[in-house]
Amino acid sequence: MPALLEPIAAGQTRFHLQGLAPDARGVACGRETLVTFPSLDRLVAFLGAYSEECSLDELIPTMTIERARREGGGHALLMRCAGADSYALDRLGRLSMAVHGQLFTGSGTVFVRYRDRMAPFGYDLAGGTATAASPEEVLVVDHDIAARYRALDRLDPVELIQRLSLRQIPLPLAGIATDPQLCGLHEIALVLVAPGLSDRILSYLWGNQVPLAGVRVALAGERRASLLLRLRQPSGQVLDVLHGIPGVELLAPVSQRAAVEIGYRHPIHLASASSCLPGDEMYLFRGRVGRVERLDGAPQFIDGAHLVRSDVAARAHDPGDARGTAVQALKVELRLRPTASIREPRGALIRWEQAGLLRRLIYLIPPMALAAARLAVLPQGMLVLTGSSLGGAAGLAAGVGAAAIIPLGMRIVEVAPGVLVPDGFELWPHVRPQLVRELLGLEAADHALFLGTDQSPLRLRPDHLAPLDAAMMSRLELAVIEASPSDSPPSGPATLLNERLGRFALWGFGEAGRAGRPAVEEASGTPELPPGRES
Amino acid sequence: MTRDLGEFCARFVAPLLGGGTVHVTAPVRPADFRAMSGELATLRTSEVAALRLQRAQQLVAEPDLHDPGAEELALWVALYNLLVLDHPDRGRVWARQATWRRVESAARYWLLFSRPEGFSAALANHAAVGAFLELSRRDQILSGAEGELRFVGQEIPRRRLRWTVPGALSVREETLNWWSAAHVAEVSALQQDVLWASPVTCLLRPLSAPPGYSPLEGAGFLRHRAFARAVCHAWASSRHWIEIGGTVLGSLLFSLTGRPLSGPTPTAAGAQTAGARPMLALPAPVDSAGPEDVAALVGALIHVHFLRVLELGARLGVAPTSRDRPVQMFLALPLLLPALGEVLGSPIGGPASLGFDAQVERRWIEYIDHLGELIPRSVVENLLATLVPRVVKAET
Repeated sequence: MPALLEPIAAGQTRFHLQGLAPDARGVACGRETLVTFPSLDRLVAFLGAYSEECSLDELIPTMTIERARREGGGHALLMRCAGADSYALDRLGRLSMAVHGQLFTGSGTVFVRYRDRMAPFGYDLAGGTATAASPEEVLVVDHDIAARYRALDRLDPVELIQRLSLRQIPLPLAGIATDPQLCGLHEIALVLVAPGLSDRILSYLWGNQVPLAGVRVALAGERRASLLLRLRQPSGQVLDVLHGIPGVELLAPVSQRAAVEIGYRHPIHLASASSCLPGDEMYLFRGRVGRVERLDGAPQFIDGAHLVRSDVAARAHDPGDARGTAVQALKVELRLRPTASIREPRGALIRWEQAGLLRRLIYLIPPMALAAARLAVLPQGMLVLTGSSLGGAAGLAAGVGAAAIIPLGMRIVEVAPGVLVPDGFELWPHVRPQLVRELLGLEAADHALFLGTDQSPLRLRPDHLAPLDAAMMSRLELAVIEASPSDSPPSGPATLLNERLGRFALWGFGEAGRAGRPAVEEASGTPELPPGRES
Repeated sequence: MTRDLGEFCARFVAPLLGGGTVHVTAPVRPADFRAMSGELATLRTSEVAALRLQRAQQLVAEPDLHDPGAEELALWVALYNLLVLDHPDRGRVWARQATWRRVESAARYWLLFSRPEGFSAALANHAAVGAFLELSRRDQILSGAEGELRFVGQEIPRRRLRWTVPGALSVREETLNWWSAAHVAEVSALQQDVLWASPVTCLLRPLSAPPGYSPLEGAGFLRHRAFARAVCHAWASSRHWIEIGGTVLGSLLFSLTGRPLSGPTPTAAGAQTAGARPMLALPAPVDSAGPEDVAALVGALIHVHFLRVLELGARLGVAPTSRDRPVQMFLALPLLLPALGEVLGSPIGGPASLGFDAQVERRWIEYIDHLGELIPRSVVENLLATLVPRVVKAET
């Protein structure tokens, strides 16, 4: 069987098929392009892939889709569009091959196979190939077959795209908040609220201080208008709450005039197919109910403050001044009362009769505890404090706790910072520790000492608390030793200073015989040997 | 200069020993020396006595210093007059050259007079001479368009700067060591006598010892354990410890055999450095040194090797860089330990170890093996023939 097509040679300008012309690269391109698909889903797949790669707006104005029957049996979908250069045709060929479509080029009713690896400049009809076709037919010529298609009906591409059903995509199992992009809602979220829920949803969003704007839209087939809300930068928690409410749909804007419900995806990349959505209408693709809502014109959103209804009528006012009414009845007295609770001892009050014992005990106290202890001399005895919550302010370490090693006198415990009471007592009522200090009028480093229920507390200022070791130690007399200045080590090499030499500096050296032994030697001219070797 | 010993000590001796400014004016006359000798008893409790004690304590912990005597005073006076001889104003003095020669001969006599008898005197002399070697001099240099004018150890007179254009003159200072600076010929000759007066200084600084010096001069002092330790550490702590050892051993062998090991004889070298004038008193070879002194010196030199090994750097530092015969002999000394061990003992103490661990012992053995590969066999045999009999004979 003779071949129906012949490869085009490089530089060839004349072709058997009318309408073929070489482009800038020498590839033969016809005025029209034809892509055949075996089924509709392959065509949709092709459109989706094409819209992901480049804009469908270039293709749709000249695109026609026909359902055709092949002579000899079989159906096919023919997509025709205007011819272009070989670069655009290469892209169409690559995408159509991926979805099992075939690309042809030509014009009118006759199309030939587009170029492939065997014929890089394309194909032309071989001489003698019959190309007679009626105007209702399309003749597609391949290497070894010529198929005739007869169009049955025509599909509108825009309508086809709008009628496509959405594809479901999984949502995060843990909720929308776990998705960093919030399923495409991190900037703007559109919320379509059923008419009966609008007030409650508005109250919820208003209460959560979500920036919102809304508009009432009348959807086809519904008596009452639904509420369409626009949320700017909503939080994931709010979106999770809204997503779980029946009658509330979240839609993610995919282009200026289209929004798709989350959890669904349109087969066509709508952002690159604005011509698929003609006019000024806005399209809401609802996946759960399987509808496409067309809104007349871009929705004019109104700020949420005008949508919320406020029912608050009460006014807050200040309470009246009641200080002068019943103050006396509320005053209670801070008292000392016995208790069985155990506290850590902070010191001891030693009577004067036991001063001798304390004097001996000083020798047994460890150095750290002795350095931290303070002594206050009181008429009742000697107060030895070995720790205080005031810490450094009073010169006392907080955690020494060495009072246990002074087994004398009455133990003193601390019921509030710097407030000391005898062991076995506490202050009643239990007010806050800092309030106790304020009530007693204590300054930063002051201590207060309660000695009994019938005695008023004593105020101990820091100058009352002397270090225990210094207070108990008698003064030592030191013998003063004057260190000799020569005890310091030699400071370094000496430095020579030549003072002015007088005219008579050698006075006395010329008197030979009177100057001593060296003069005698000079007279004799022979020096002596060292003393050790004179013998 | 005054005849007062107190003022002399305050202006010269105390600053020299303790650090300070040493004032130099007119020389001390022999009559002044005699006068000051009568006041020596006053020095027992003075600052000078404490300073010389501290100087000596820098060498040994408990120096047994005697009270300053006439010999030590003679050394101080000689050192002072040495500075006078180098005074830049000598030309101003109305005196004949013969008078200056009397000053020089008096200084030389006093230096000979101060030669130490025992270790105590030698230590006292080292206190003064050691400080004298460290004496520094601050020169002021006046620079102008006509050249430079150096004021040696003096301040620039104010009249020099009085009527000058601002910026025309510049003044700078230079501090240099007096001992190593350039001197007149008389002073250069007397410098050798200064070193002869202090054998301890010569032993501690063998590289600057006078020509003809023999380490046997101070070898007897090495019997004092503390002093021997100080000498060994002084040698070992120097960067030129190999040269020091070679110099000491070369001088020792020259003293023992009378033959120079290499190069010109020390006497000839001394004659060259002493200038055109002949040496007035040539030091004689030391005859009184016994085999014990030789053994002490050799033991100290071997101990220097051990100290360097303890510092971890000896094995790498010792390299056959020098073909000098004394240096090679010094490096060969540890190889003589098998022959000398019975007399000198071992640095690591033999079976009853002195406390050194096995690592030190291993390093010492590696070091000796390294030296055995480094030193020619002829050098060792030469030492076995010349040096070892003089040590071993001492014990046998």
